[in-house]
Amino acid sequence: MIKTVDLEKIFVVRDQVVRAVDGITTHIKSGEVVVVIGPSGSGKSTYLRCLNGLETLTAGHVHIDGVDLANRKTDMNKVRAEVGMVFQQFNLFPHKTVLENLVLAQMKVRKRSRKEAEIKGRALLEKVGIPEKEANYPSQLSGGQQQRVAIARALAMDPKVMLFDEPTSALDPEMVGEVLEVMKQLAREGMTMVVVTHEMGFAREVADRVLFMDYGKLVEEGTPEHFFDEPKEERAKLFLRQVL
Amino acid sequence: MVLLSIVAGLWIATKRIDYTWRWERIPQYFAYHSEDVKTINFDGHVTKIDKKGDLTTVTVKNDIGGETSSFVIDTKTANISVDEYLMEGDTVGSTREWKAGPLAHGLWVTLWISAVASVIGLVIGVITGLCRVSQNLTLRQLSITYIEIIRGTPLLVQLFIFYFFLGTVLNIGRLPSGIGALGIFAGAYVAEIIRAGIQSIPKGQMEAARSLGMNVPQAMVYIILPQAFKRTLPPLAGQFISLIKDSSLVSVIAITDLTKSGREVITSTFAVFEIWFVVAFLYLILTFTLSQVVAWVERRLAVSD
Repeated sequence: MIKTVDLEKIFVVRDQVVRAVDGITTHIKSGEVVVVIGPSGSGKSTYLRCLNGLETLTAGHVHIDGVDLANRKTDMNKVRAEVGMVFQQFNLFPHKTVLENLVLAQMKVRKRSRKEAEIKGRALLEKVGIPEKEANYPSQLSGGQQQRVAIARALAMDPKVMLFDEPTSALDPEMVGEVLEVMKQLAREGMTMVVVTHEMGFAREVADRVLFMDYGKLVEEGTPEHFFDEPKEERAKLFLRQVL
Repeated sequence: MVLLSIVAGLWIATKRIDYTWRWERIPQYFAYHSEDVKTINFDGHVTKIDKKGDLTTVTVKNDIGGETSSFVIDTKTANISVDEYLMEGDTVGSTREWKAGPLAHGLWVTLWISAVASVIGLVIGVITGLCRVSQNLTLRQLSITYIEIIRGTPLLVQLFIFYFFLGTVLNIGRLPSGIGALGIFAGAYVAEIIRAGIQSIPKGQMEAARSLGMNVPQAMVYIILPQAFKRTLPPLAGQFISLIKDSSLVSVIAITDLTKSGREVITSTFAVFEIWFVVAFLYLILTFTLSQVVAWVERRLAVSD
């Protein structure tokens, strides 16, 4: 499904070279839920953003369903339509109603009719548990509701993969649960998911595999049981002692 | 209280210089009752007079050819009778109607010059603003050059260049060159406003749009520009209000706008004070209406806040 080979992303900020992602090779299978954890600044988010081309790759390859993002001829828009993304800051379109947020890309990118798109949009709002908010504007919703709309918006495109970039980090604690619940449900339905998160409980419960990153490198990789209970690397042990 | 004392002071000051206010002479320069005299261009006899309320139709038969023509005139001016002989050039009667005076005409010219220039300015501004934030270096440099040149030279000088140089070389009239200069002038400022608006939209909006598979133009049109437009509405309104006021400069290339009409009326009335007050008030009406319209649009767009 997703293959990254020697993926590298280097930022140059005022002559300072930052190796945000430093040679990551991994393979995410279809239907797998992969949770990426690591200290802040370890390059988790950058890695995730490389997977749908929001960051251009410095070196290496990302293959999504066999399509290489490093190839200049690849139509990024086509790839992105198949890869849903949920952001930390929700990034809903504030000038559009909730339903319009869900409908717009379906019509413009998937070329669906308005009617078809609205049916799909309403069904997804039902699924994330806020069908009554379709006519509201994002600013009238709580953070948890906004994030659920953002998930529904990404799902409306019928993506093959969903990427989550710290989806609960900007939420008040009491709203984290409702968002995680929606994500768990997605995982149960067999969606391929890559999740960057600090929610260790979620990682332990839902993940098929955990990737631990530090300084842009993939330090440890394994099942949640292996990672949380008997990590091999010293860096991972230190991190877990601090967060758990 | 403050305003009252200022007005009182000015009134006393004008008293002391023996200025005679003639406000009553102003209205006729807005609209006047003009008389349209109908004369006959052949010799003939009146065959029929048909009175219908205020209007009367007079039918006259040509003595030589035998063909008839009819004239519609005001009943009050109809002092001829059936079978009366009329010679070529005689008056059959007249009609009166309201006609726009020079001030009303000038107001209209100012209004539509400003409107057309605003539309041109907005179109140029949006395109240049987009070029200004584009990834393409050439487009960016071109837009910066345009903005710097226009912002760095006086509008009056631009008008002269447009009219005397471009107008002569490209053979365009004074109206198109006046409107063009105003539009291009406004475009440079609008471009900077639009650029600021686009850059004020959080990066996440573009990323969210792109992550849904939209291409850059789609994201711009459906996501970024509508939000930027909403944010830039207050400075844009200010810019277009400026444009209405700056349009008074086109009077120097002999376009009969409100300012020029005012000057023309002064030459025939010598009511200098009154006319300039009236002209200022008319500009105020235009700009105030525009700012009210913008305030209304702002309230409409505020529903999503």
